[in-house]
Amino acid sequence: MWKLLIASVLAATAASGAARASSVADCDADSPDCAAVGKWNVSLALGAGVRSNPLVHGQDLPLVVVPQISYYGKRFYIDNLDVGFTAVDGAKNSLSLIASPGYDRIFFYRSDLQNIFVNLGGPTGGSNTPPVPFPSRPRRITYLAGPEWTFNDHGIIGQLDVLREVTGHNHGEEVRAAVKLPVTRSTGSLSATIGLTWQSAAIVNYYYGAPRIYESGSALRPFLKLAYTRPLGPRWHFEGVAQYEHLANAIADSPIVAHNYVVTSFLGFVRAF
Amino acid sequence: MRFNMESRAARCAVILVAAVLTWGMGEPGSGIQLQLSPRVCTLAANERQCRTTVHANWHSPREESLCLVILGRSDVKRCWEHYSEGTYNIELVFSDDLLFELRDSRLETVLASEALRIIREAIRYRHRRRDPWNIFQ
Repeated sequence: MWKLLIASVLAATAASGAARASSVADCDADSPDCAAVGKWNVSLALGAGVRSNPLVHGQDLPLVVVPQISYYGKRFYIDNLDVGFTAVDGAKNSLSLIASPGYDRIFFYRSDLQNIFVNLGGPTGGSNTPPVPFPSRPRRITYLAGPEWTFNDHGIIGQLDVLREVTGHNHGEEVRAAVKLPVTRSTGSLSATIGLTWQSAAIVNYYYGAPRIYESGSALRPFLKLAYTRPLGPRWHFEGVAQYEHLANAIADSPIVAHNYVVTSFLGFVRAF
Repeated sequence: MRFNMESRAARCAVILVAAVLTWGMGEPGSGIQLQLSPRVCTLAANERQCRTTVHANWHSPREESLCLVILGRSDVKRCWEHYSEGTYNIELVFSDDLLFELRDSRLETVLASEALRIIREAIRYRHRRRDPWNIFQ
């Protein structure tokens, strides 16, 4: 199934080659949905926020300085810690092959790149000692890869990733799906995003399980995000984000997990360079 | 009749010789060649101006009194008196095409001209990744 998806994306790459020149005709310098090819995009968010840590004794992750970096080649792109190869780049639909880091490691390691990227300040270190004996073991940096389909129609943005762990640490699968809906749009814009993550048992147990102590099945993690953006000039804008992610029982029941949710919030100003 | 034929042939020969001699002598300012190096400056997507040293070189079949000027750039002027060739090197910063002209010493008549053109690398755009997962999207 997974190989079939990869093959489909590669076939779409070849098929879209001739049509691609016209597929980005709707892009220009004034379109916020578009980026210049061959140019790095760097922005820095300064503000106050927090991401809760669901682990037992896990310290919340402060969000003070949040850098965002991206680069777009003709087909290749870097989007923070994700890399991708775009096979089809259409006005409404796009199809890419992407590689993205495993998300849950951020709760175990404050030094994880995903935390460094999100937070350059605040305390470091932390404890995840569970109330029941639980063997300590490393959770390596993992990467998941697979096809990503996104669409954009009348301001509604959707994303579907079908990923497999490719760094050889858990061989699990993950599906990420989300839809962003515009709520209001005047000087500022308010949007709501609903989405979910499905993680196979291999991934859930890699982070939250232990042989003969706690072994779980797959997990479903829905989330809701509200975001408000207001431009303050050509390079500045105000950003407010609140997100609630619910953790399935497969994760919440683990002895090392104290909460069945992850809350993320941030209020601050973003400067584009 | 035969006399007339020979007479016409002689006239034609005289005219031909005269034309060749006239061409060799040349009108003042004719036959002047102006060459520029480089002839094109290519700007990258993130560049606004060209900065380059331009080498201008001219040749004439006879001695001339003339000046090299750049249209719209009154600060650039180099003149020669009774020369049949000349060179001029100048460092220029410019953002539009430049037209180099060789004019007579009164700057009234254009004797030769050559353009130094700017080619801008086109900026291509593509769609950003639509990523609702990103905290700021």
